[in-house]
Amino acid sequence: MKKALLTLLALSLLAWGLAQRYLQDPELERVKSGGKAYAEVFVSQRPDQALCSIHRNRLPADLLPKFLEEQRSLIKYPQNGKLMGDWKKGGAIFNNLQKANCFSCHFGSPVHLGGDVGPSLEKYGLKRGQSEAVQRYTYEVIYNAWAYFPCTVMYRFGAQGLLTPEEIADIVAYLLDPESDFNTKPAVGSK
Amino acid sequence: MRTHKNRFTVLGLLALGALVGLMAYTQQAKPLDPFEEAMRQRQMYLETFGILPGELFAEEGKELFFRKGPSGKTLEECDFGKGKGVLEGVYAILPKYFLDSRRVEDLESRVYTCMQTVQGFKPAEIERDEVKAITTYIASFSSKAKIQVAPKHPAELAMYNLGRELWYTRAGARDMSCAVCHDQYAGQRVRLSPVRSPKQGLGNEWPAYRFEEDKLYTMEDRINFCYESIAIPKPEFYSDVHIALTLYMLAEAAKAGHSFEELPFFTR
Repeated sequence: MKKALLTLLALSLLAWGLAQRYLQDPELERVKSGGKAYAEVFVSQRPDQALCSIHRNRLPADLLPKFLEEQRSLIKYPQNGKLMGDWKKGGAIFNNLQKANCFSCHFGSPVHLGGDVGPSLEKYGLKRGQSEAVQRYTYEVIYNAWAYFPCTVMYRFGAQGLLTPEEIADIVAYLLDPESDFNTKPAVGSK
Repeated sequence: MRTHKNRFTVLGLLALGALVGLMAYTQQAKPLDPFEEAMRQRQMYLETFGILPGELFAEEGKELFFRKGPSGKTLEECDFGKGKGVLEGVYAILPKYFLDSRRVEDLESRVYTCMQTVQGFKPAEIERDEVKAITTYIASFSSKAKIQVAPKHPAELAMYNLGRELWYTRAGARDMSCAVCHDQYAGQRVRLSPVRSPKQGLGNEWPAYRFEEDKLYTMEDRINFCYESIAIPKPEFYSDVHIALTLYMLAEAAKAGHSFEELPFFTR
C-alpha cells in the first residue's frame, strides 16, 4: 500500500515536473533560432499555460478543482474595496486596441464594431443589474478569466498584470453603470 | 527601383483613401465583408493603374533574380526544390529538405541561403526587401497551384512536429497560442477579420499586398504580424520557427485539398 502510494507520488511529481513547460529542451533549442527575446517567452512559460497546452485547452475533470483554486488565489481587489470605478475611464480602456482590446472579441461597444469570438455584451448592465454578486463576477472574470473558464482565450488581465485592479473596476463600471455609454448608446452593428 | 518608388507613392495615397473609407465603414451599422472590400479595392487599382501593387514587387524580384552576385552567378543557379532554374510550382512544395544546406527551408530562407552559397553575398549585404521581392517573383509561378506540402524526410517530419507543438503552446502575458484562436474559433471574426484554421486553407494567400498597410507581406511577415498582435516578440527571419509553423500550416491545408490564391494576392 505504502509502495503504491510512493509510486503514485513519484508519478504525479514527474507529471508536475513535465507540466512546468510544454516545449521540451530539444524543441526549445530550436526555438532559439528565433532569437533571444522570442525564445525567452517559451522558456519562461508558466505551469498553468503548460497545462492548458498539454490538454489542448480542455482540462480533465480531476485537475479542475486544484486549477480553479490556484486561479482564484491570484485575484486581488482594489485598495478602496470598490468594484465599480469610473465608467468613462473604463470605456477608454475597453475600446483601446493597445489596452484591453475587449471589442476585438466582444460585441456591444458603441465605439467599435465588435467581433464574435466571445459572447455578446450588448447592454450588459441593463440586462444584469448592479448587485454585489454581478459586480464581483464581472470583476473576477476580467481579473482572471481562467478562474471561471479554464484555459479560455480571454486574457487574464489582472493575473497577468495587463491592467491594475483599479482599471478593471473602471471597466466593470463601463459595463454595469446604467449611465454608461455602453448602456445608453446603441452598440455599433446593432439592429 | 526609383520609378517603382514613385509609383508606390501614388499607390500609397490611394491606399490612404481606402483606409479612410475602411474606417468609415467599420463605424457603419452593417459590417462590410472584408473579402468583398478587398476585391473592390483590387478592381479600383486595376482600373486606375492597369497593374496591381503585388505585380510591381514580383517585377522587382525578377530583376533581382537575374542580377549577378559577387560570385558572378544569378539565382538561376539555385535549386529551389525542382532542380536548378525551375520555378514553376516550386512554391507549392515548400518547405522541404535540401541536401546542400542540410536544412528544411521555406522559400524565403532558401532565397537567403542561395544568395549566400550560390551568389556569394555576405548575410549583412542581404536586404530583407530584396528577399521579399524575389520570394514574390518565384511564388508567382505557383499562382492558384494546389498546395503539395507533405513532410516525408525525417528532418521534415521533425520540423512539422516542432510547428505543431509551437501551434499549441500557450505563452506570453496574453496566454495566447495559434490554436486557441485559429482552431477553436475558426469561422468567427476578430473585429472585421475572419479567423481561419489550416484545414480551411490558412496561409494560402501569401505573399500578398495588404492595401490597408500599403505593404507586401510574405508568409514570414504574416507570422510575425500574428506574434506582434499577441504581444510576443517577433522571431528573427529565416528561423526554424517560421519554417516549422509554415510547414505545419501548409501540410494541414494540403491534406484538406486547398490551393493557393492568385499569387501575389491582394488583401486587406
